[in-house]
Amino acid sequence: MAQNADTHVVAPEMAVSFFRSILPFNRLDDATLHDISRHCRVDFYPKGTRILSAGETEIPHLYLIQQGGVKAFIEDDQGEITLKDFRGEGDYIGALGIIRGTLANLNIETVEDTFCFLLPREIFLNLVEQQASFAHYYLKSFSEKVVSTAYNELRYHKVSRRSGDDLYLFSVRVGDLVKKLRKVASDSSIQEAAVAMAEYRVGSLLVYDPEDEENIVGIVTDRDLRGKVVAAGLDYQLPVETIMSGPVQTVLSQALCFDVLLKMMTTSIHHLAVERGGKIIGVVTSHDIMLLQGHSPYYLFKEIRGQQEISGLYILAQRIPEVIRGLIKEGAKAGNITQMIAILNDHILERMLILLEEELGPPPVAYCWLLLGSEGRREQTFKTDQDNAILYADPESEKQKKKVDAYFKILAAKAIDHLVKCGYPLCPGEIMATNPKWCQPLSVWKSYFSTWISAPDPVELLNATIFFDFRSGFGDAGLSRELRKHLKAQAQQKDIFLFHLARQCMSTRIPLSFFRNFIVNRDGEHKNHLDIKYQGLTPFVNFARILALKYGISETNTLARLKALFDAEFINRELWASANDAYELQMQQRLIHQLSQMEEGRAPDNHINPEQLTDLEKRTLKDAFAVIERLYSVLDKMYPVA
Amino acid sequence: MINLLNPGSWFGNPSPLLQANKECFVDFDQDRPLGEYTFVVCDTELTGLNKNKDELISIGAVTIRDLQIDLSSMFHRFIRPMNMDPTQATLVHRITPEQLETAEPLCEVLPGFVEYIHGSLLVGHHLPLDMHFLNKATRAVMGGPLSNPGVDTMRMAQGYKRVRLGHYHEHNPRTTSYALDDLGKEYRLPEFKPHDALEDALQTAYLFLYFIKKFRKGGLVTLKDIFQSGRVGSFRY
Repeated sequence: MAQNADTHVVAPEMAVSFFRSILPFNRLDDATLHDISRHCRVDFYPKGTRILSAGETEIPHLYLIQQGGVKAFIEDDQGEITLKDFRGEGDYIGALGIIRGTLANLNIETVEDTFCFLLPREIFLNLVEQQASFAHYYLKSFSEKVVSTAYNELRYHKVSRRSGDDLYLFSVRVGDLVKKLRKVASDSSIQEAAVAMAEYRVGSLLVYDPEDEENIVGIVTDRDLRGKVVAAGLDYQLPVETIMSGPVQTVLSQALCFDVLLKMMTTSIHHLAVERGGKIIGVVTSHDIMLLQGHSPYYLFKEIRGQQEISGLYILAQRIPEVIRGLIKEGAKAGNITQMIAILNDHILERMLILLEEELGPPPVAYCWLLLGSEGRREQTFKTDQDNAILYADPESEKQKKKVDAYFKILAAKAIDHLVKCGYPLCPGEIMATNPKWCQPLSVWKSYFSTWISAPDPVELLNATIFFDFRSGFGDAGLSRELRKHLKAQAQQKDIFLFHLARQCMSTRIPLSFFRNFIVNRDGEHKNHLDIKYQGLTPFVNFARILALKYGISETNTLARLKALFDAEFINRELWASANDAYELQMQQRLIHQLSQMEEGRAPDNHINPEQLTDLEKRTLKDAFAVIERLYSVLDKMYPVA
Repeated sequence: MINLLNPGSWFGNPSPLLQANKECFVDFDQDRPLGEYTFVVCDTELTGLNKNKDELISIGAVTIRDLQIDLSSMFHRFIRPMNMDPTQATLVHRITPEQLETAEPLCEVLPGFVEYIHGSLLVGHHLPLDMHFLNKATRAVMGGPLSNPGVDTMRMAQGYKRVRLGHYHEHNPRTTSYALDDLGKEYRLPEFKPHDALEDALQTAYLFLYFIKKFRKGGLVTLKDIFQSGRVGSFRY
């Protein structure tokens, strides 16, 4: 048929916009997309049509599903069918066969009425040759480009821009911020006041009337010491009332921080006394309020370390998510973010236990506060349950033992209570230092691990897995190292328990694919949510733990374990790189999912609705599932069922 | 083709293009498998619906070969009407007055279209209306009507519904719409944004492909089967 010249120039908008919406075509420029569209055909396959047959069908073109869905499966000699994949809108069929120049390697059948764009194989092969992104995409390698695009997409589309970054100012009342009242009598010397300020690590002291301690007559600040004393050469022995400002300006404890900040800005007074029920309860400074806004991890870190009272840690701990949010927005990756969360949590714990020791007196024997599970692996996201324990040095006598028991019982009870107030919920399984079973001397801990390892009861072993990820959170790390040494020596001798761990790990079913707004399992079962922790992350954690135990690697962090396994050549570079990327990307997805839940005022969970995932996210998750399959096959070879 | 531009030839014998096209259908065999026919799905836009007065202002068409829509050869042209208030076009159609003012006249566009549909079956949604204006135009410009057999997707839809619902089930005609968009929704075809004659032709092509493959799955394998089953078309319009 003769064709008029301008019959060529038109490209149907419908086809172009389809290509513009799917990976990896969306990276192509418009002219190329128009050209591609003009070379396609459109075909329709009613539900139940076999499009390709494995080992039989030549693949003349790449099929791109515009609408509908197909299943991919293989069939063995006995007619046994194994489902391999479901593919829906925007997915492709036949790429691998075209690239490798082979016949179809899977059976493809429509499960719905399906419209496909057919892209001629020569054009497709040209794209694969000329565009690196095409080769990466269709050869299913976890390319850096796809990964970094995925991170960007997560960042820009899922982390909302919140205009009111100063929201705290409107929700926190100044009474929540107030520091413990520190005061001196007005007849104390300037030097005595300076000594008290240094000791309490504060920038101001209230000054009271020696006749009536309740009567606050003024305030003395760092600035007064600098300006009125040191710079002016004033005698340090003069009474402090000579340099104080008085009477003090006060605010009510229920005032909003915003209003207080306004008052400070208008009066240029940066230290205000806070009044509750007609009584001065402490001081609030502009610095305290500015810190509320600060998202800088360093400020938070400094604040935690400088905290003199345990109750002051409560509000600091609540600010961790805000700091983390800032980090995510700045583009930090999950591996770094979880490290930061661990550091901040560790400092909260450390500060709390130091202050608690001051309160209770020094411990009768050395002890180590153990962190277990995700805390032990430094993989916490936002507020996750407490998993902790106490490991202490074996007491030397029966008498000491009683003292030790009593001390740690109180320490644990108080510490756990403070942690709850900091926002770390109790562990429903009671794996906490308050449980006498998990507050034990080194010898008992060693025997626990020996039992789990040498005579494994599979159920008990499953419950014990989080203990294998222990690390020292505070205290005498030597005790924790001693225990790790014991575990290492035992684990490498007793393969049977690793066998159990491996078989348990592999019993977690891996999702197969996404189809529409469902997640499809290997048996074709559909679910409308993905448990990203249980189905997505746990298999990587389990794999890394088993191999780390097998090869005596002390690391507890999953990414660090994988790296150590690669460095020691227990896994190859390719597997390490894929597992590392797949794991970290899923952690990122989980973090962002939880962050957005928290911003909507909901409790964070691990249930991801496929409806809310972009194509790229689905694609990277699907690739991650494929990596899990490879991890399982490594374990399967290592620990075959007899 | 040159003599077409000569108004003297307009009222004589049909043009050679029309003749050649006509010869394709002299011994037209309806018993071949569906995949062996070439279909051209077309849509026209008009100045209005008055069969005597109104004129074609655009033609969009896509070809279906091997029962697949071939996006590599499509036809889309605007036509400068003889009598028309150009401002009116923007109200009724998605065509700007500038597009019409710079468009070629009918006598230049039509031979290209006849060439494009040479030997193909025509498909359209409510095809008789398009055929009326196309035949009127070819008579005026090329000395005769088109000889291409046609298939009306609206009639296919009626036939398809009859088959699916069975002859004994009366369905309420008031709840049944045969508009292109409504059928697309009913059968969950890909969505099209109202755009132009070409996109409309493409949407019709999707609908045609849907029906023809559904019919074929139901055992209707030749063109004759299709014609007879739902009386979905006729040999001549």
